[in-house]
Amino acid sequence: MPREAEPSLNEKQFVLQALQDSVRLDGRELEQYRPLELTFGDQYGVADVTLGKTRVLAKASAELTVPYADRPLDGIFNIATELSPMTSPAFEVNRPTETEVLISRLLEKTVRRSGALDTESLCLVAGQKCWSIRVDVHVLSHDGNLIDAACFAVVAALRHFRKPDTSMEGGVLTVYTPAEREPVPLSWLHSPFCVTWSFFGEEGDIAVLDATWMEEQVRSGSCTVSLNQHGEICQIAKLGGVPVEAVSLLHCTNVALVKAKDMSSKLDRWLAEDAKRRDKGGLLAELSAENDRVPDM
Amino acid sequence: MPLDTSTYNLALLRVDGRRWNELRRIHAQIRTQAAADGSSYLEMGHTKVMCVVTGPSEPGPRRGVAGAGGGGGGGGAGGQSKEAEVVVNIVIAGFSSVDRKRRGRGDKRTLEMQSTLSNTLAATLHTHLFPHSQINISLHVLSQDGSLLAALINAATLACVDAGIPMTDYVTACTAGSTSTYAANDEGADPLLDLNHQEEQELPGLTVATLGDSDKVVALVCESRVQISRLEGMLAVGVDGCKQVREILDQVIKAQGQKMILEGTVDKGTGLNDMDLD
Amino acid sequence: MASSQHVLLSPAELSYLHSSLSLTPPLRPDGRSPTQYRPLSAETGILPGTNGSARICFADGTEAIVGVKAEVEKTKRRWDDDTIFSENNHHQQQQQQQQQQQEGEEENEGRNNNDEEGGSSDWVELTVEIPGYRDDDSGTVFLGQMLSEALLADGGFVKRLRINRRFHWKLFLDILLISPPLSYPLPLLSLTTHLALLATRLPKLKSEGDEDPFFDDDWAAAPYLYARDPATKRVAERPPVTLLVMAVGGNIIFDPSKEELAVADVVLAVSVGDDAQGKGEDRMDVDGSNPGRNLKLLSIRTVDPPSRLTPPGVANAANSAYGHAQVVNTGANQKMPEARQTESEAVEGVWKPPRGGAKAVVMGALVQKVLVRGGVADEVLDALEGVDTS
Repeated sequence: MPREAEPSLNEKQFVLQALQDSVRLDGRELEQYRPLELTFGDQYGVADVTLGKTRVLAKASAELTVPYADRPLDGIFNIATELSPMTSPAFEVNRPTETEVLISRLLEKTVRRSGALDTESLCLVAGQKCWSIRVDVHVLSHDGNLIDAACFAVVAALRHFRKPDTSMEGGVLTVYTPAEREPVPLSWLHSPFCVTWSFFGEEGDIAVLDATWMEEQVRSGSCTVSLNQHGEICQIAKLGGVPVEAVSLLHCTNVALVKAKDMSSKLDRWLAEDAKRRDKGGLLAELSAENDRVPDM
Repeated sequence: MPLDTSTYNLALLRVDGRRWNELRRIHAQIRTQAAADGSSYLEMGHTKVMCVVTGPSEPGPRRGVAGAGGGGGGGGAGGQSKEAEVVVNIVIAGFSSVDRKRRGRGDKRTLEMQSTLSNTLAATLHTHLFPHSQINISLHVLSQDGSLLAALINAATLACVDAGIPMTDYVTACTAGSTSTYAANDEGADPLLDLNHQEEQELPGLTVATLGDSDKVVALVCESRVQISRLEGMLAVGVDGCKQVREILDQVIKAQGQKMILEGTVDKGTGLNDMDLD
Repeated sequence: MASSQHVLLSPAELSYLHSSLSLTPPLRPDGRSPTQYRPLSAETGILPGTNGSARICFADGTEAIVGVKAEVEKTKRRWDDDTIFSENNHHQQQQQQQQQQQEGEEENEGRNNNDEEGGSSDWVELTVEIPGYRDDDSGTVFLGQMLSEALLADGGFVKRLRINRRFHWKLFLDILLISPPLSYPLPLLSLTTHLALLATRLPKLKSEGDEDPFFDDDWAAAPYLYARDPATKRVAERPPVTLLVMAVGGNIIFDPSKEELAVADVVLAVSVGDDAQGKGEDRMDVDGSNPGRNLKLLSIRTVDPPSRLTPPGVANAANSAYGHAQVVNTGANQKMPEARQTESEAVEGVWKPPRGGAKAVVMGALVQKVLVRGGVADEVLDALEGVDTS
């Protein structure tokens, strides 16, 4: 099994020593995120998120299928995470590493189990037809804090996504192409965001946000908190690692809420900008098509 | 079926008759398995788990990628590392829940629990004393009634004590919840200690594991939606519950130690002096 | 699994073991007689959430737990049942619905309905969990197959699961090995399964005929899967047991330990059942007149012994460390026949892994020894009968 090269003792020592003095290698504050950028694709439901040198692409897609027998009134919603060898030689295809399992579990708990997407709205005919929404998460470049970036990408992709419009008339289900009817957004209930804290030192008293890959390799513990802008915790995962005082964990969640609200407003702004851009283009295209047809008649 | 919280408000009693700050009955035993280096059996209410520890030993041939848990605290792999690797293996018996549900070893929830346990124990066991070795912990879930992760952590702690692996202190865990659902922003909601299966399904809750009788949290897992204002109360109750669990586990260990001295399995003088030195 | 287990014994130790086990009578490392089982402690009914459960600890510390769970399942319909029942307005469980979808395909087959009393081997699902091994590991799968094969061999077991023409019990057997796999766990798992099945109770049926089954809530009234004789409280017919037998030299050894398996020539897993039909006489007299049980052979499997993978020893004559320098100095082409010689010729005190198959005579003798009246199988069944399964 190939492994990632570990940082040398000197490097580890240097990073830790600097953190003791509240200095980070890239000059950030301890509770400061790297610049977060989001680009939407030409298609609906493609979000490309960069966080410093970490880059994650999420793509949402929908297809019609049969609901699960035990949940006839619910649609299907899945998040598939793939860490390919492109990201790091330590990742192999078809062999989920621990990191991959943990990331997909975290995304699942944050987005799916917290009920961010209303799965009942995906059901078209009870027990017979429903939408299956699938988000594929691809990590393109790994420089630490994959979870926060991946979660942001998934939420952005799902909120940007439009599924084909449908109608039910007299027991006949019609699915319209984008040309017939404008695709509709998913029924979205709230937007959760992951905020990951990394703890350093024997006592775990140095808490850092948005750790880089180098920092992740020397950290002694981490805690991921998922929150939405309404101040609801969707999930907390401190899966072992260095013991941290309960009080500092509470502080961490409060700071995380500020960050989550920040991310939420950023995403709202980017979505609005994108919608504006598309709306103009869409309307113009439609108008020009009509104008083209007039001389023909 | 939603949990009828009105009865709770009426008598302040939960579905199984406990008050908000009461643990379920904890019954624990160590040294249950003669062939293993350390073993334990733990019941928290109707949640029953067994733990068997082998090692620290020479790392065997690697089998089953999905079956093996994560690495030690230092993140070294296999026999090359300077610290012992803690490999955790959880088997959830098909008959453990009311409706038989089969979980494969590849189940992500089980893998996540394995990794949580492995990282929790790696932070507490003195793994640096056993370089190039492996500590194998297999856990068997015989019956499930809520607080599964907490029971697994407690059982693993007991078994590691039995195996004589040096560790900083007990890692004990328990769950805490809140009587209001996430939807209701009810300020009068009470925190609850030690959730059973039904409460776990209906109410927000978290699992917390602490080190010794300090307030240091080793693991904190919350899987339900809950108002951030509710966290502090739940965490406080959970940490307090962990201390109660620690007392109970400590008594179990001491009782077993006493029994062993009486039976002459260990020499009284040396054994006790060693304990005092620690 | 036997083949993949690592035995950390040197060729000299293996050779010593082999020769002491080949003596008459054989000398076993733990001092047992060749037909003696490891002492065990057993209990049943340890898991209140199951239909039946059992736990066995062998004296070497290996321990297993078996839990049995039963669910009502709809029997796949045969073509002629359609004319009698309408299925539409019955409440159906989820898996039953799935089955209904398959029924369309089944209907065309038009099987004859003569085996109305029979069952299907799908009605039993058996899983084995060995710590440290994946559940799709070949060894684990093989163990599970051997155990379920013994259970399903004569079709008598599944008959017990029949409720009526339309419904049957689906039995889930979950077999957990608790301890690390110190020895080949087959005998332990088989005995534990045996006890768990003996302790298994199914709710008392209150409905009649082919209507949808409903059951008595009173667990105390629930009958045992293996019915007891009301007068004597004894179980009339018993589940099968699988015995592990090995041959080494001219000896036949029961319940071999891991070390003994490491020098085995042949290893067999023999499943035997208690043939109740052929037993007319009263079995109450346990003294000398006891004719023993009528055992029937259910299945035989050869188990690949790990001895085939052990490293061969080198005879002193061929060992350069003993000063026979000429062996070293000769060319490679001359070294080859030397090596081949040590492979083929048995030298006293030098370990040679067994090659090739077992002789038919040995196999016959092994099976004979298992089935002999008043023999080991009888002894084991008697011992298990002593366990309180109520």
